[in-house]
Amino acid sequence: MAKQRVGYFEDRQDPEAQCSRCRMCELICAFYHHRVGNPRRARIRVVALGKGADIPVSCLNCEDAPCMTVCPTGALQRKEADGMVLVNEDVCIGCSMCVSVCPAGAVTLDPVDGTASKCDLCGGEPRCVAYCPAKVLRLTDADLISRKRMRTYARSLVHTEEGKPGEDRK
Amino acid sequence: MAMFQGGYAGRFLYVDLTNGSLQVKPLERDFALKYVGGRGFSARILYDGLRPGADPLSPENLIVFAAGPLSGTPLPSASRLVVAAKSPMTGGIGDASSGGYFAPEMKYAGFDAISVTGRSPKPVYLWIDDGKAQLRPAAHLWGKRIHATSVALKAEIGDEDIHICAIGPGGENLVRYACIVTDEEGVGARTGMGAVMGSKNLKAVVVRGSQDVRIADPDRFQEVIDAYRKTLEGEAWTETLRRLGTPNLVAHRQKLGIWGARNFQQATIAEWERISGEAFRESYLVKAMGCMGCMVRCRRYSALPDGPAETLYMKGPEYETINALGAKPYIIDPAFILQAHYLCDEYGIDEHGAASAISMAMELYERGILKKGDTDGEELVFGNGEAFLRLIDKIVYRKGFGDLLAEGTRVMGRRLHAEPYAIHIKGQEVDASDPRSLVTRALTFGVATRGSCHLRGFPYIDEFIKPEEGLKYFGTAAVSDTKALEGKGKLVAWSEDWITIANLMGLCIFAWYRSRTFSMLIHRGLDLVREAYTAATGLSMTGENLLRCGERAYNLEKLFNLREGMGRESDYPPARFFDEPMPDGPGKGAHLDRADYEVLLNDYYRARGWDPATGRPTPEKLKELELATS
Repeated sequence: MAKQRVGYFEDRQDPEAQCSRCRMCELICAFYHHRVGNPRRARIRVVALGKGADIPVSCLNCEDAPCMTVCPTGALQRKEADGMVLVNEDVCIGCSMCVSVCPAGAVTLDPVDGTASKCDLCGGEPRCVAYCPAKVLRLTDADLISRKRMRTYARSLVHTEEGKPGEDRK
Repeated sequence: MAMFQGGYAGRFLYVDLTNGSLQVKPLERDFALKYVGGRGFSARILYDGLRPGADPLSPENLIVFAAGPLSGTPLPSASRLVVAAKSPMTGGIGDASSGGYFAPEMKYAGFDAISVTGRSPKPVYLWIDDGKAQLRPAAHLWGKRIHATSVALKAEIGDEDIHICAIGPGGENLVRYACIVTDEEGVGARTGMGAVMGSKNLKAVVVRGSQDVRIADPDRFQEVIDAYRKTLEGEAWTETLRRLGTPNLVAHRQKLGIWGARNFQQATIAEWERISGEAFRESYLVKAMGCMGCMVRCRRYSALPDGPAETLYMKGPEYETINALGAKPYIIDPAFILQAHYLCDEYGIDEHGAASAISMAMELYERGILKKGDTDGEELVFGNGEAFLRLIDKIVYRKGFGDLLAEGTRVMGRRLHAEPYAIHIKGQEVDASDPRSLVTRALTFGVATRGSCHLRGFPYIDEFIKPEEGLKYFGTAAVSDTKALEGKGKLVAWSEDWITIANLMGLCIFAWYRSRTFSMLIHRGLDLVREAYTAATGLSMTGENLLRCGERAYNLEKLFNLREGMGRESDYPPARFFDEPMPDGPGKGAHLDRADYEVLLNDYYRARGWDPATGRPTPEKLKELELATS
């Protein structure tokens, strides 16, 4: 089964189908995992780039995960079901080497308990996906991301009417 | 052991800029139960901390930044910050509210409220980082516009993820209606809070935090989140807000004919479709944006081409942007509106303040009361956008005619002996709409404690409440007749107490305190909010208690105003609304009737338990609200 992760699918043609920077994903993630309000404990973060670009970022579920490779204690291990790398907090020493090597910056050290913190797909039903009001987050795999991107490109070669808003998100 | 099981951070920060002292004091449980948060905290702090007659632009004034118990929790739309002080516009209680992310971040940084007094000898900014506060030099930031201030602060602190409440040159130069700006986007626009910060040499408050906002009963809290989400399904008001933002109200104003165009001389705008919500969406909207945790997403993010190679990006416009910068000076041009809006937000001045001053001057010029010699040579007629933009600059930097305009319409009225043309209540300009044809709105604007305000109460209830609901809640079915006077005093009083709850909790009014059915107003604004408060804090709270807390904060604000000498005479709309009939549109001929307004005001005072002659809360009412004022 293809590696799953939470992906961001926006449609630049549709003002309501883009990340609105509401950060509900951050809030609900931290709440689900820690039962508090604290976006810095979330495993998904919205990066505000300015000029209308806001991008939610979370674990890419690498095939060959540098975080797992670099971990000195073996605290990072893959889950069977979706292949997500999980943190064993009892073993983690909070050295932050995984933080340094993640290509997406998607591993943090939890500010309250000091251990590595990363997306675990909420056990299979990611809360960020469920609660995003713009519905721009989806549980996905790289193949689907590629096919969406391919479709946008293919359409750009064909001189027909512009696609309806939301086309790329279906 | 922590004072609170959740919700509250349990700490207030007190800053004295004169001697640079910073003190943390615990939030007491009884204080929290009585005043709850937000405007409740600020009303109490200001009432206790200020003596009557204090100059709002002197070191004596206090400025309070207050979050609520729900700020920072995962409850949708708990995003609002209250900034309060004695207002340089009205001389009474002033407060501005901003959405975005600042109030939640204040809680993550460990504080429920920050109270600042004194004046710093040199410009400073207040930096609060995970519970630790310090004052840092800001001389190098002084003079910078909002965006440049933000860039500089992020570079200096070395982190993009900080949250900023700043003033621009408008506040620095004590423009009376200068505003505060959060994160370059959200404006705490009204009552001149930016001028108060400027008078203290306080350039910005910057927060960053990683502390938990605890939740006493997380399972119950989750249920409230989901129950709230459910209320949004099929809610037409929030769907319209997401699609068009508050500019959706442009069509409504035209339909009812209640614009305050040309300084409230014209109630309809023939070319209104050029500046409608649809028009802005079509040509300028980049995307819908949401404040912290918001599922409505009414904020707009727009792009305005600026010359052949540049684009200006900005949050907005709001309906009030279009009303202020389009309708009032009668410049029915969306590109102009965005240009002026961009400048006002960058400079940190309230759009209604600037537009009302300039529009009043336009009316005076057209009437020959002001001449070119008075206006620095400007042909200051309605519609002159270029003059308007030049005058914004002059207002901010206090140059030439801009120096008088920077004082606002009440001062202009006095200095120019032109009081009939100054459209304000208690010194704050009328915004929102022309209330001549809708008397409940007139009362709401008239009695609002912070000066003319359409958000202090919720008068529109009479447009959709059913007669049987009117009978049940307000003792009369007549409350559902928008033209009737009966029961409206009680309606406005109740709506003020009810809406104040939002400002205590840190909740957004548009997400929680708006609907087209009365039963939904009760369900969301009382039932669910009460559930959320108890689930977050562990403190029990009934719906009745919540309304009493709203009433208590409101009464304290009224006491503050009375102590400043603002009596019954300050609770009236401006003379134009009584003396001049609406000139055009569906409401043509309508005007407020003085005898009717007396009836309404008496009804309102009676409903509030205030002395009918003076508006002073009676000793019985104060006892009922447990308001010790001496």
